[in-house]
Amino acid sequence: MDLTPKDEQETLRSATVDWLADNMPLDQARARPDGIWQGMEDMGWFGLTTGAIGLDHATEALLFAELGRFLAPVSAISTAVALRWSDTEGKVALSLGERILDAGDTGTALGLFDGKAGLVSYQAAAAEPSLDLSTAQIILDDAPEPVLLSAPEAVLHFRLLTAAYAVGCAEAAGAMATDYAKIREQFGKPIGSFQAIKHMCADMAVRSQVSRSQLYYAACALDGGDPDVDFHVGAAKRLADQAALENGRANIQIHGGIGMTDEALAQFPLKRAHLLQFIAPTAAAELL
Amino acid sequence: MDIGFSPEEQKFRDQCRDWLQTHIPAEKRPLNADEALDFDKAWQRQLFEAGWAGINWPERYGGRGLAIVQQVIWLEEYARARAPWIGANFVGINHGGPTLIVNASDAQKAFHLPKILQGEAIWCQGFSEPGAGSDLAGIRTKGRIEGDEIVINGSKIWTSFAHVADYQELVLRTEEGSQRHKGLSWVICDMKAPGITVRPIRKMSGQVEFAEVFYDDVRVPRDNVVGGLGNGWAVAMSTLSFERGTGFIADQVKQSQEVDDLIATARAEGLIADDRVAEDLAQLKAEVSAVRAMTYRNISEVEKRGQPGPEASIIRLFTAELGQRIERMGVRLMGERLLDFRYGDDDLVHDYLRGFAATIAGGSAQIQRDIIGERMLGLPRSR
Repeated sequence: MDLTPKDEQETLRSATVDWLADNMPLDQARARPDGIWQGMEDMGWFGLTTGAIGLDHATEALLFAELGRFLAPVSAISTAVALRWSDTEGKVALSLGERILDAGDTGTALGLFDGKAGLVSYQAAAAEPSLDLSTAQIILDDAPEPVLLSAPEAVLHFRLLTAAYAVGCAEAAGAMATDYAKIREQFGKPIGSFQAIKHMCADMAVRSQVSRSQLYYAACALDGGDPDVDFHVGAAKRLADQAALENGRANIQIHGGIGMTDEALAQFPLKRAHLLQFIAPTAAAELL
Repeated sequence: MDIGFSPEEQKFRDQCRDWLQTHIPAEKRPLNADEALDFDKAWQRQLFEAGWAGINWPERYGGRGLAIVQQVIWLEEYARARAPWIGANFVGINHGGPTLIVNASDAQKAFHLPKILQGEAIWCQGFSEPGAGSDLAGIRTKGRIEGDEIVINGSKIWTSFAHVADYQELVLRTEEGSQRHKGLSWVICDMKAPGITVRPIRKMSGQVEFAEVFYDDVRVPRDNVVGGLGNGWAVAMSTLSFERGTGFIADQVKQSQEVDDLIATARAEGLIADDRVAEDLAQLKAEVSAVRAMTYRNISEVEKRGQPGPEASIIRLFTAELGQRIERMGVRLMGERLLDFRYGDDDLVHDYLRGFAATIAGGSAQIQRDIIGERMLGLPRSR
């Protein structure tokens, strides 16, 4: 039993962070530069758990949490799941029924249909912005007919990677708020010295820690074929969604007026959290 | 990363399970400290004789010297078997003993540690005072040095098991006029010494477990100082991390059982059809699961670096508040039957009322949030 990243996992994680910090800074979330998808593909993130690379889900979750922290395209999740369980090559968008997220440059999307993972084909159309300013969407006229994937693990994989994104998103909000609380001064002191603010930051750290820990456990449960894997992955998604949403809101409160503006970055984790909560959500009944 | 245990660890787990299955006392542990004393001592003695006391304590003092993973496995199985709380032995085993292991002289260790492990000596903690709760450095109880003795005057409060204890880990001011963290000493105080008066205090749950302690010219040998005169703050702080280490795993297993019981009750009584009840129960189940994940992470950290990270404060805070959410859910499912509670007759209501202690004792939830904010996140100090 060891729930801390091994040295080689830590090396992969820091290489991921370095690339993301250089190529995917949060202040470019509205419009990612051309070629970003190719860059991500070159980093190998979409095929980590395929036979060709052969890493485990624990390592993958660790790296996808970093992708989530930088609000990477959500289609990285659908692309990785489609490649792993259907050998679909190239970019795969993410389907929430007729709503297709990150729809550009492909005509295939992956989503859940009555609790099963499936692929749908669609006609390219001009994408519209969504609430999450980093994610464009198209809405199809009719509900698409999916081709279901036979592997039951595909659903767990899909949910796990989305949970990883939400953990990163929650941590991004927490870090943004805490950094701001150290430099913003009122009453002649950094606002982070006031317990009212400090305790909000502490609660954000608690939610991040809770959701990241359950994510690790769920990834290991998937790797090890644990009999309770459905529960653990479901719990990870639920806790990560909550952490992302609540941290996203607290981040805006701590930023005060500037946090409410379109110009500031504080809105980004919150809006992303709202998007993630609709991807492979966990219903209460699945945990009981 | 992995969540599996090695074959040796699995074997150790089987041994724990087998022994517990056949040795857990049939009768229930009494609620009040004085009635529970004989029970607690006999159970501790039994644990010691079978080799289950002090799994990670040094062998020369009667422990087994095993790794933290074995300690965790034991605690998990102990809770899973619904074995009784160690009660009056709690302070000695989980706090006083570990403090002595780190800070005491060989003579002090040789005298006290075996007695603690064998359930022969009961310890209590003398930290809080009427004027020093969250602000522990505000301690005013005085120790005047007279030759080779310390003469103690003052009072302590919220001292669990004081009226049945043999010894106390007492933090007092030994330097006249010293301020705050300076001039304090950590002293072993004989609770039977002349001049000590113990006034037990009943809790709102009806239980009599903690007490106020008064010191009127109490004399203890100067040799009873642990870790050097004037070093009391450092000695007291050195083992607070023990409290924040492995102990949560037993809480986790217990909380997991409680949530499963609540789900069964809600099913049996049809309350689970209420979506809000189902949502909240699912939430509790997910959160309890996360406590295990967090504790395993923390233990892995201890194995690698020798001590828990500052994240242990997070586990402590989260576990305490989660316990209260579970207790409140239990009371919510009870409905009006709650009103029939009489002191001592309903475990669920008793736990709910006693459970308020979880976010007060040993560092309130507010102090825990300060610690997380300041030591882990690096925010500027509030005070």
